[in-house]
Amino acid sequence: MKNKSNIRNFCIIAHIDHGKSTLADRLMERTGQVSERDMEAQLLDSMDIERERGITIKLTPVRMFYKAKDGEEYEFNLIDTPGHVDFTYEVSRSLAACEGAILIVDASQGVEAQTLANVYLAIENNLEVLPVINKIDLPSARPDEVKKEIEEVIGLDASAAPLISAKEGLGIDDVLEAITTAFPPPGGDESARLKALIFDSYYDNYKGVILFVRIKDGAVKAGDRIKTFRSDKIYEVVETGVFAPNLTPRNGLSAGDVGYIAASIKSIQDVAVGDTVINADDPAPEPLPGYKAVQSVVFCGIYPLDGSRFNDLKDAILKLQLNDASLIFEPDSSVALGFGFRCGFLGLLHMEIIQERIEREFGLEIITTAPSVSYKVIKTDGEEIFVDNPSHLPPVSEIEHMEEPIVKADIYSPPDYLGQIMDLCREKRGVFLQMTYLDKSRVCLEYNLPLNEIIFDFFDAIKSRTRGYASFDYELIGYERSKLVKLDILLNGDVCDALSMIVHEDSAYTRGRILCENLKEAIPRQLFEVPVQAAIGGKIIARETVKAVRKDVLAKCYGGDITRKKKLLEKQKEGKKRMRQIGNVEVPSEVFMQILKTNKD
Amino acid sequence: MAGIYVHIPFCKSKCSYCDFASFPDKIGFAESYMACVYREISKRAKELENYNFETLYIGGGTPSVIDESLIAMLIAAVKKHLRLSGNAEITIEMNPGTVSASKIETYLKCGVNRFSVGLQTAIDSQLADLGRIHNLKEFLLSAKLLKGRNFSVDVMIGLKGQTEEDVIKTIDTACEAGAKHISMYALTPEDGTPIYTDYLNGELPDGDETAALYDAGVKRLKELGFGRYEVSNFCKKGYESRHNLNYWRRGEYIGFGVAASSCIKDVRFTNTYDLDEYFKCILSDNFAVKSVDKIEGQDIEDEFIMLALRTARGICLEEYTSLFKRDFLEKYSEQLKKTEKYLETDGGFVRIREEYLFVQNGVIIEFLGQ
Repeated sequence: MKNKSNIRNFCIIAHIDHGKSTLADRLMERTGQVSERDMEAQLLDSMDIERERGITIKLTPVRMFYKAKDGEEYEFNLIDTPGHVDFTYEVSRSLAACEGAILIVDASQGVEAQTLANVYLAIENNLEVLPVINKIDLPSARPDEVKKEIEEVIGLDASAAPLISAKEGLGIDDVLEAITTAFPPPGGDESARLKALIFDSYYDNYKGVILFVRIKDGAVKAGDRIKTFRSDKIYEVVETGVFAPNLTPRNGLSAGDVGYIAASIKSIQDVAVGDTVINADDPAPEPLPGYKAVQSVVFCGIYPLDGSRFNDLKDAILKLQLNDASLIFEPDSSVALGFGFRCGFLGLLHMEIIQERIEREFGLEIITTAPSVSYKVIKTDGEEIFVDNPSHLPPVSEIEHMEEPIVKADIYSPPDYLGQIMDLCREKRGVFLQMTYLDKSRVCLEYNLPLNEIIFDFFDAIKSRTRGYASFDYELIGYERSKLVKLDILLNGDVCDALSMIVHEDSAYTRGRILCENLKEAIPRQLFEVPVQAAIGGKIIARETVKAVRKDVLAKCYGGDITRKKKLLEKQKEGKKRMRQIGNVEVPSEVFMQILKTNKD
Repeated sequence: MAGIYVHIPFCKSKCSYCDFASFPDKIGFAESYMACVYREISKRAKELENYNFETLYIGGGTPSVIDESLIAMLIAAVKKHLRLSGNAEITIEMNPGTVSASKIETYLKCGVNRFSVGLQTAIDSQLADLGRIHNLKEFLLSAKLLKGRNFSVDVMIGLKGQTEEDVIKTIDTACEAGAKHISMYALTPEDGTPIYTDYLNGELPDGDETAALYDAGVKRLKELGFGRYEVSNFCKKGYESRHNLNYWRRGEYIGFGVAASSCIKDVRFTNTYDLDEYFKCILSDNFAVKSVDKIEGQDIEDEFIMLALRTARGICLEEYTSLFKRDFLEKYSEQLKKTEKYLETDGGFVRIREEYLFVQNGVIIEFLGQ
């Protein structure tokens, strides 16, 4: 039996671009996990999308061995964390699998909102936090000030924080050494009943679902019968192993270990992140704390651009769901768009990633409807329902009142941009809570904001108004009563359900006018005049007109060569396939997306 | 019914909108070229021996730019190798500035009975913009030589700076000169032509403006007694172009010369656009066909519909039934319902209402691929 006191399980917390993946790569390189030659720029972020966006979505743990100055050899398990606010819960489960967290702070940018949120998560999970100041090679580096900031803002002792440059490979040994001293070895009782925390999973075509686990108590080995606390299904363990960094079989995992379990599990939905694996024949009576069911925050409709590819879209979503338990969906149909799915996501980024993966990995062109949040509708008969699809909203006469989800947002910015941020928050119906000066150069503004104002373009707007200096983080805090209306778009008198949205009464007129203007530009001219109208409950509030086409014919069939004319018609016919029929108006599928993208302020 | 088309790919100079097979700098090869065309005709004699041709259309390019004796020999070659009916319509295209009294006399002598004159516009500055080699005065001189003959005039819509008055003046000019037939075309700026730059710079009238000019032209033509028998063709009663009607009725035709298209027994084929290659093929005793397309099944029907709906006559239901062995109104009931606003059905014909002829593509595509 190996010595548990030489195991260190930890993660790295950092703001986007502060160098998390680079440091992870350096640690692996220095401990001989991978040679520099084998490194495909930043190993941990293995999905294309992750590498392009510089964010981590899917976790990849890795095991390393380090011979410390005290002569002992240590086993390090680095558990990566997703780097975005959409995945806060996943981050918290990863943290729960560790005893320590390395906090990377950029030597010139200092502490950022996102870093803070994750540091608090780490502290909540009783982790030891080791601050590391990165990018000290940059001319703008101000390590002493940043150290002070860490102490003042977070309340951590940063006096011994290693000063490093992950990019240049400076100070990496200091970090390795500090890991052995700053973080405690894992606790847990090997002889107790099995309790293993699932912190991630993915679907393997041959082995079924692979569970990424941290064994908290007890032990597990091939042949054991296991189940999770929240499901009655029992599985037989086929293989256990560690991350080196590829899956490497090892017989048996015990308390303190980070590794994986394969047990021919068919569905990822049966083994939720945060759930506890227990022994089916000798079950522990209590689960590990902290489990939360997945909660979708943002919703949208996804439809195949070519209506005949509904089944391909279904396959794609099912396959993505194999690896992403937080993606929820149900079949949906729209008069305008035909058959598709209503999908729920953890946040906007999650939504974008799924949309992009469907297009990229499955070669499907899709139409997505405007993102929506889930509204609470209190009906006149007292019934309470949640509606995330504007076209499912009950008739106005049946609605007593509506409530919308509210988030508490923390916005961090240099003081110079306070005015701009406050203006933006006011426009977005924000309620100011308080303002705290973190230091001379950094202010934290707290606002309550309706989630539906954030899902459109809040993030872009705040970045552009503060020249990228401000950062922003939010958490859902509940529902509040609000004056909400359903804004319908009528094309030639017919409501186009796919363009309907739920908006606040005060912004309905502006939204309607902009939508009509955009649609007028985007809808091709038809054989007849097409009025484009925005309406609230049957009352027209804006109107534009798409004029009738007056000429679409090639005038001449030169010398009997009709191929040109044929090609033109074929092209037009082909274009028609990409059109959706709304009443008697033909609308190119692209319109539905352009409308979302050109959502002006 | 079957027709013959012969392409003469020579011009004095290339017009700014032209993207057809025409080689102003190769005019010195006209004699050799025509020799090849005669040879191509003789090579087709055997396979076409059962065809009775009703029309011969000599187009270009500018057929009137080459020596008239070459045209005479061409018609002789056609008559020698193919069966051209005694009352065949024989048309030659000509451009002002390349016509003389003796030329016309020769044409008439060898059987030409219809002329097509490229006027395009009666406004000299617009003619210059188009890179035409003639002005209004030269057109009037040419027209004078054709007085009393069956001739057609080409008019172009959508020119830089063109007004409704300009269009009307052009039509009036053609009518007064004695034209029995007027083809009124909308300029189509093609990528690669000099005029495409004007188009890109927004100097040409847009679709709406062109449509307005066209409407003004149609109105004037009607006032002057010209009936519209196809989307862009107008004539005095009885002066329809039989050759073009054959295209629109999906009749058979054989083309000779560079870039000429044919449709024989549902096979569409087109000769090479490359003059040198054409020479090489014919001189090595081969045909010069570049592309062959066998039209089958629904495609035949699509062509029939698409072409027939260009004409004022429309789709002849009886003809449809005899060709495709089913009822048009039945097969396309859904499409007819959807487009009923744009169609009229009477006397055994389904046609696009005249006010929608200019936006017919949107109607036609509903009927394709069913």
